[in-house]
Amino acid sequence: MEVRDTDILMSDQSAVSLDQAYKLRVNGLNFYYGSFQALHDISVNAEKNRITAFIGPSGCGKSTFLRTLNRMHEETPEARVEGEVLLDGESVFDREISELRRSVGMVFQRSTPFPKSIFENIAYGLRIRGVDSSLISGLVEQSLKRANLWEEVKDKLKKSASGLSGGQQQRLCIARALAVNPEVLLLDEPCSALDPIGTSKIEELLLEIKESCTIVIVTHNMQQAARVSDYTGFFLSGKLIEFNNTKSIFETPSSKLTEDYITGRFG
Amino acid sequence: MASKHKTSSRTGNWRKWRGVLGFGLTGVATLISLGALFSILGYLIHQGIGAINWNFIVREPAAVGEAGGGIAPSLLGTLILVSISMVVGIPLGIGVGIYLSEIAGGTRFASVARIAINTFIGVPSIIMGIFVYFILVKPTNTFSAIAGGLALGIIMIPIIARTTEDVLRLVPKSIREAGLAIGAPKWRVTFDLVLPAARAGVITGGILAVARVAGETAPLILTALGNEYYPTSLFKPIDEITLRILKYARGPYDVWHQQAYGAALILVFGVALGSLLLRLSTRDHDALSR
Repeated sequence: MEVRDTDILMSDQSAVSLDQAYKLRVNGLNFYYGSFQALHDISVNAEKNRITAFIGPSGCGKSTFLRTLNRMHEETPEARVEGEVLLDGESVFDREISELRRSVGMVFQRSTPFPKSIFENIAYGLRIRGVDSSLISGLVEQSLKRANLWEEVKDKLKKSASGLSGGQQQRLCIARALAVNPEVLLLDEPCSALDPIGTSKIEELLLEIKESCTIVIVTHNMQQAARVSDYTGFFLSGKLIEFNNTKSIFETPSSKLTEDYITGRFG
Repeated sequence: MASKHKTSSRTGNWRKWRGVLGFGLTGVATLISLGALFSILGYLIHQGIGAINWNFIVREPAAVGEAGGGIAPSLLGTLILVSISMVVGIPLGIGVGIYLSEIAGGTRFASVARIAINTFIGVPSIIMGIFVYFILVKPTNTFSAIAGGLALGIIMIPIIARTTEDVLRLVPKSIREAGLAIGAPKWRVTFDLVLPAARAGVITGGILAVARVAGETAPLILTALGNEYYPTSLFKPIDEITLRILKYARGPYDVWHQQAYGAALILVFGVALGSLLLRLSTRDHDALSR
């Protein structure tokens, strides 16, 4: 099983405590929708302040995997999980769910602005968190700046967020996620509905925010994974076929399946 | 492409005529229905316009059979009854709608509740009147505005519950997930994000329900009873516009008949104006949030 690659990676770090090196650790994760098993024995780690990408064809389980990391799968009836997901060494299943999701933010495939103004879209998460209202407008500005959106929207903060372009909406969603200062940011195909310009802006942004945040991104755009990520995992039929640093995956994949996929022979 | 040309002009013609016939029938159905509605309206205007003047709106009814007088107590009573019914029906109806859409979802309880709600939407309103008569009017030994408003409110509940559930279900799942993903608890997602997104639909449901009860008569005969004078207490019988129409239409005097048409005309335009105003006010707001 190629999954052992992760073991090699882990043994490299054996001197350091695993929890210090890895922000997120997943051990023996099985996932079921009713009686259908969507994920098989996934074990993988995400390093702190790095971008970890997961690629694979539609339906391979990569989004399902991402959704277990902030327990978003619990919104799906009949979904069931076995195995361990550790954030800083602590099981995410033991954390209070709202508090966990503030630490592990998420951005979705379709941009999902709230039916509110641009300002309120960002401020909402802060209010939920009970941030003092005198600090909110400063934090909103700061988050929009971090998401490289401030210059484009600073004159229309009171306008509805749905008036923004697709790319701007998606950066707004990233700003919204960043506003509550998450430790981890999960992105589920954030660029699949965007044009190349919108996509490259998001990619630049990801490289900036990894300085302060651990990023896990799911994409079926291999070039995107190659461009932005430090580590890449390849999912197929609910199994993690291969996981390694991005350069190795794309240049010297150890699995035939991975090679076939990245050279475009299927998927 | 070649095969398309082969479909001979005869079949082509037949297809075209079938299309014309199909659309033609829907057009005829529309014409007949609108024709019926507009002739009712025209008849009301023709018969009732003569009764309407300032005194008709601000005066109490004149002595039996005499000309003049107005329906002010009925108008005021209608306003009071509808207000009470809104206090009862809107929060309960919206609450049920939220519960079924956001919390109970696909449970067995929810499907039973949905059948019950659909049934109650179709139940004749006199049943609600009888119910309130036995639980409130008889024990307290008096007809009252409270009893009338309660009966109307109960009629509103299933209508509002049903429309609220329907429009909440139309709100994309992605909005709920996005809210949960920034750590908002479920109840805040429901009230801060889902409900505002469905706002226009919920309000439309409310308007429909209010318009429906504003024209109810049967349950009010058993609960509000009617009154010749201005309401002085919520615990006493109160007049309502359809009760007034009923009384005048059945009475023996020509002046009553004309006033019945006048009152009906006011009711129709009142309901139309009310829903128009509410719709305009929500549209302005939606333009802002969209």
